[in-house]
Amino acid sequence: MSLLFYPAAAIALFATLMVITRVHAVHALLYLVVAQLAVALLFFLLGAPFAAALEVLVYAGAVMVMFIFVIMMLNLGRPTLLQERGWLPKGIWIGPGLLAGGLLAELLLVLSAGPALEPHWVPPQRVGAALFGPYLLAVELASLLLLAALVGAYHLARPYLRRADQDDTVEAER
Amino acid sequence: MADVFRVLAQIGTTITVLLVLAALLIWAERRLLGLWQDRLGPNRVGPFGILQSVADMIKIFFKEDWVPPFAEKPVFIFAPCVVVITMLMALAVVPFTPTLAIVDLNVGLLFFLAMSALAAYSTILAGWSSNNKYSLLGGMRSAAQMISYDVFMGLSLMGVVMLAGSFNLREIVLAQQGLWYIVPQFLGFLVFLVAGLAESHRLPFDLPEAEHEIIAGFHTEYSGMKFGLFFVGEYLGVLLIAAITVILFLGGWQGPWLPPFVWFVLKTALLVAFIILLRAALPRPRFDQLMSIGWKLMLPLALLNLMITGAVALAGGL
Amino acid sequence: MDQRIGIEQELLNRFEGEPLLSQKTADQIPTLWLPRDRLLDVLRFLKLEIEGPFLCLYDLFGIDERRRAHREGQPEADYALVYHLLSYDRNQDLRLKVALSEDDLGLPSITSLWPAAAWYECEAWDMFGIEFRGHPHLRRILTPPTWEGHPLRKDHPARATELPPFRLPSERQEKEQEALRFDPAYWGMARHGDNTDFMFLNLGPNHPSVHGVFRIILQLDGEEIVDCVPEIGFHHRAAEKMGERQSWHSFIPYTDRIDYLGGVMNNLPYVLAVEKLAGIQVPERVKCIRVMLSELFRIASHLVFYGTFSQDVGQLSPIFYMFIDREKLFGIIEAITGARMHPGWFRIGGVAQDLPRGWERMVREFIDYLPARLDQYEKMVMDNGLLKQRTVGIGTYSTAEAIEWGVTGPGLRATGLDWDWRKHRPYSGYENYDFEVCTAANGDCYDRCRVRVDEIRQSLRIIRQCLEHMPEGPYKADHPLTTPPPKERTMEDIETLIDHFLGVSWGPVIPPGEASVGVEATKGNNSYHLISDGDTVSYRTRIRTPSFAHLQMIPLISRGLMVSDLIAIIASIDFVMADVDR
Repeated sequence: MSLLFYPAAAIALFATLMVITRVHAVHALLYLVVAQLAVALLFFLLGAPFAAALEVLVYAGAVMVMFIFVIMMLNLGRPTLLQERGWLPKGIWIGPGLLAGGLLAELLLVLSAGPALEPHWVPPQRVGAALFGPYLLAVELASLLLLAALVGAYHLARPYLRRADQDDTVEAER
Repeated sequence: MADVFRVLAQIGTTITVLLVLAALLIWAERRLLGLWQDRLGPNRVGPFGILQSVADMIKIFFKEDWVPPFAEKPVFIFAPCVVVITMLMALAVVPFTPTLAIVDLNVGLLFFLAMSALAAYSTILAGWSSNNKYSLLGGMRSAAQMISYDVFMGLSLMGVVMLAGSFNLREIVLAQQGLWYIVPQFLGFLVFLVAGLAESHRLPFDLPEAEHEIIAGFHTEYSGMKFGLFFVGEYLGVLLIAAITVILFLGGWQGPWLPPFVWFVLKTALLVAFIILLRAALPRPRFDQLMSIGWKLMLPLALLNLMITGAVALAGGL
Repeated sequence: MDQRIGIEQELLNRFEGEPLLSQKTADQIPTLWLPRDRLLDVLRFLKLEIEGPFLCLYDLFGIDERRRAHREGQPEADYALVYHLLSYDRNQDLRLKVALSEDDLGLPSITSLWPAAAWYECEAWDMFGIEFRGHPHLRRILTPPTWEGHPLRKDHPARATELPPFRLPSERQEKEQEALRFDPAYWGMARHGDNTDFMFLNLGPNHPSVHGVFRIILQLDGEEIVDCVPEIGFHHRAAEKMGERQSWHSFIPYTDRIDYLGGVMNNLPYVLAVEKLAGIQVPERVKCIRVMLSELFRIASHLVFYGTFSQDVGQLSPIFYMFIDREKLFGIIEAITGARMHPGWFRIGGVAQDLPRGWERMVREFIDYLPARLDQYEKMVMDNGLLKQRTVGIGTYSTAEAIEWGVTGPGLRATGLDWDWRKHRPYSGYENYDFEVCTAANGDCYDRCRVRVDEIRQSLRIIRQCLEHMPEGPYKADHPLTTPPPKERTMEDIETLIDHFLGVSWGPVIPPGEASVGVEATKGNNSYHLISDGDTVSYRTRIRTPSFAHLQMIPLISRGLMVSDLIAIIASIDFVMADVDR
């Protein structure tokens, strides 16, 4: 297992580093996809193939495609880049950097205190049983959240839809 | 160590066979289209023109490897590789016979879905990196199409999963011993086939490359081997969709008298021919029509199928 | 004849005391010269006030009158501008002319009355340098924007040898390329909308489905067409200018290339116009042969349309089947004329040869064979649900809009108006045939295809009647201006030999006059306005083609639709660029 684990982990780390340092949004996103694929592989190696498959299917395969789709249509060029630079001067990074550093230190501390992670095989059935058993409430909450997001998205898109309707009526009147 | 070599050899053989098959499929499609369109098709190179694909391949290999100066170079080169890689990866979980499969993955079906979802990157990135308006339109169309049809594709398969009680493709085939799933899962079969066509963007769902509208869509700027990769990827996609359909709905390798492998090949070939026939027969819907077919027809159908199957499964105490 | 007096009298009554001058023409179309300052009033009266209005601006073109010798009864003019109007209510043409002098080449634009005049006025400006005051966008339309001079002026060189050798140094190349760049502001288009940036997509001149070299620039919001600019002229070969150089006879093959799918159908209006000038009456057999071949070519053209139409909405197969049928048809054409696409086979006063032995069998086999195939195509294409989804209700225009924009032919009939030149103005003996005028109701893409498909069957009907009632007789008129003259008697008397020699070497001298004849061509109404100055060549050859008018209408019917719809619209219009650009 470790034969693949460390390269995958290295790739995940490296790709994540590239994500936050790339200026070009599409490149950053592509690195994010790579990071997710590497993480999926880690999941798989740790015995959670279902989680691995979903990581690829949902995050890399759907969410990131959506992101790229949007960025592709934004027609970002040099002016936006400069504008962005203007918003984010060097000094602004210090605060968040410190916070993230603290978080990282805490994480390392916790990880080093606990036992090493042992791979154990989790078949999809067990994931399902766990989700709809002890975690039922969490699943329902998440689905509520998604529903709210759906309604919100519809609400945001409504002015556009209404405009299209108006165009139709204008056409009809003509 | 010997084990690793055996696996590597198996991977190598499968890839070679698949690539040759994809090339052969190009020839087969052209001949079949020729037959259905009252013309000959390629018939000069080799017996029945079967070497035409070889000739094309040689040509395409020797073409200049050109990247347009206005393109986003790394992404432009990377994009066509994605489709071939994902398609080949997805084919790795396909059990051709009870014993012949590269991996017998217990989430095989999910793996297939994941890979076909990743394949969307190929067209999107190609469309974006070409820095050409037609390519961009193609990329946009493809992104919307792939994301939408991914949803129905996944949903349409859940009925099968419920009946078989497994994501493992081999087990799904074995579960069809008595009855092929095309009977209890006919709705699922229809939705999956349509979604599969859309995923591999074949006519009537070839909107991302609709030549009458957007020239060649996402691969307008591609030539040489990079174009060849898209081409091979498309045919691998056709093979994949046909093979997965056979496994999920048509009983896989099962059948009387003939050896399992022959059955598998026969069924797949028939489906491939059917897909080619569709190309010869149907016009192309408009983009918004394609979307409404998806969201207003395919999605409800898939959900309905899922509900009925779920109800039946619960009642039957599966 | 009464009608002619009718409209002229009406105009003279309304504009009493104005110097309206009537001109006699060989084609009996009422022709009036107007003073420039009353042009708009007269046109407004004709379009909006008169009973049985002239709603269609059928044609608008210039004439360089400076070198014309025979101008008896016409006012003094260096240039003339011709407005050819058409009233469907009256079934009548009216030609109005305005005289212009060389040092004041301007007159008011009539685009406020007829938006369709925009392209015609651009063409007149491009070709003659006539300026239209109040035109929204006067520009070069057929020649490149960098062109110098106005080609149809008599002093503009007609062939390359009259010009210095062509060179394309890199500066000039850059200039030419820069001229092709699309600038939205020049066309009054915004780059940004309320909350969108528009994309400007250059469709063509090389694009798989623009049917030739046609460029259309789209202003897109996503895939929705906000506006578009059709740009033509890439196929311009100065056919009208060539008409002024080629003898009356040797221009015939050039006409074939105007609507290159229409073959001899193009010859027809030209030879009819020349015959009208020359006063030739052709024998019945000639008429029948001409009708038969024209209808065969109508079928050939409609088959190409049918196939490409279905192909443009993504159906790959029908076009192959239809080309097979077209091959069979070309077999007949080849047997009769010796050529396939461009026979150039009609002659002034007749046709080139008599029909070959055995033609009946070939034609009969074909007309017995095609209907069954058409039934198959009906199921394959017209009944296809996807195709209907793509074309029904797309690119719709009403009868009124069609007339306003000068749409003719199947495009007009698809709106429900049963107007067919073959029925309403029978030429070449069409009054003797029994056939129906096919119409549809909605004027959308599907209906335009519907009408053409039905027309194939009607053409088959006409051909069958030709086949069964082909009159006996000569295939050439017995007239001194028939070209080439009948050869039989040349070996017997010297007068005929001299006639023959002159007719063949110099070509016939057609008496001075003007005539314009239109026919129901494959794509709409194609007409030739010929002016003879008593010479072996035409003084002015004006070719009015249907597709020119049809293309101008594209922005009107494609706004708010998607790119895919535009492709369906383009396919349904059925144009060839040679027919647009000439």
